[in-house]
Amino acid sequence: MNVEQYISSGILEAYVLGELAEQERLEVEKNLKLYPELRKELALIEETQEKLLMKAAVTPRPSLKNSLFAKVDAAEKSAKVVPLPAADGGIAFWKFAAAASITFALITSYLAYDYRDKWKKTESNLAEFTAQNQQMASDYNTVNQRLDAIENDLRVTTNPAFSRVLLRGTANAPGALASVYWNEKTKEVYLSIQELKTLTRENQYQLWAIIDGKPVDAGVFDNNFKGLLKMKDIGSGAATFAVTIEPRGGKQAPTLETMQVAGNVVKS
Amino acid sequence: MEYLYDHYAGALLGVVARILKKEELAEEVLQDVFLKVWDRIDSYDASKGKLFTWMLNIARNQAIDKTRSKEFSKGKKTGDLDNYVNRIENEGYVEQKVEGIGLQNLLNTLPEDQRFIIDQHYLKGYTQAEIAEEFNLPLGTVKTRMRLAMKELRNLLK
Repeated sequence: MNVEQYISSGILEAYVLGELAEQERLEVEKNLKLYPELRKELALIEETQEKLLMKAAVTPRPSLKNSLFAKVDAAEKSAKVVPLPAADGGIAFWKFAAAASITFALITSYLAYDYRDKWKKTESNLAEFTAQNQQMASDYNTVNQRLDAIENDLRVTTNPAFSRVLLRGTANAPGALASVYWNEKTKEVYLSIQELKTLTRENQYQLWAIIDGKPVDAGVFDNNFKGLLKMKDIGSGAATFAVTIEPRGGKQAPTLETMQVAGNVVKS
Repeated sequence: MEYLYDHYAGALLGVVARILKKEELAEEVLQDVFLKVWDRIDSYDASKGKLFTWMLNIARNQAIDKTRSKEFSKGKKTGDLDNYVNRIENEGYVEQKVEGIGLQNLLNTLPEDQRFIIDQHYLKGYTQAEIAEEFNLPLGTVKTRMRLAMKELRNLLK
């Protein structure tokens, strides 16, 4: 059903005015149960009508009230003389009904409050758990990536095709130490750092391989990784590996004065 | 009970009086309306609307029933009808002053065709069907104009 269209037909107004035929009236009542929008609209119409009619009120003569309540009293008294329990029971019933409805209202509002409170708590717990879950997932990912890296490192270090070249500190940096894993067949080069000093942002380390007496660039790196770092593939026949400090991005030829570590390939 | 009377008697008398246009008859009907309200209040179902709407429909039906009675057609010939109609309008006027915003002024802000419907129904006491028949309008038009007017009044009466 198109609620908007239904409302704009004016059927709710006609319902409020009590001007619908029985069947239409029942249909409106059924729809009111189904659509909260209709209930909201109905309440607004009723409110408008009430305000309008309050403005158009005609004050009854005060005597009218007296005579009305006299009639009501008389009806009650006659009900007492003739022992019909219904009339007196009516008042008692209303007292009871009022008390019951107040009690009911109190209980329901307490329950509503209580449920709202519980709902709020549940909501905040859910948010907390969702956040924890996300944190856990991201931790798990980090660990997983780290594990992948370590597995790869292990594959390199345990593979007999890779020869390990120990690069010891030069006179520039006596305590420095690094290792190169080099597979002459696949030409892969991996680097691991044991001890290198931290550089300023302008500078980077550069790895060189000496092949046939000439330095070959094997790539630049920062001193901020764990495990093995894959460097550029170099040709075969490397005799020595060395690391120099160069301006960020590296250079074509090594600055020998800044050489940190170096080591010769030991042919097995 | 007394609260209901104090609160709603004026509004309901206004409705009844506009339908019957006779003071004594209107007050008699108003009494009947309240007796009926006490009697049937346990059949009031809040899910179907506000208490005032329910009372209003009792009042309206009671008044319309009265217009079909012998008493009413007999009384029609007596001459004080115009006086009472005037008093209704004057009472309305007094009420307006108290309320601050004049009811008539309020209705005058509505577009003419909507004001007409409200006027005929709420102030002159005609049903929608009667308005449709009397003024040769389709009932659907009366309904939608009533709808627009009520929507407009909703904002005006805030």
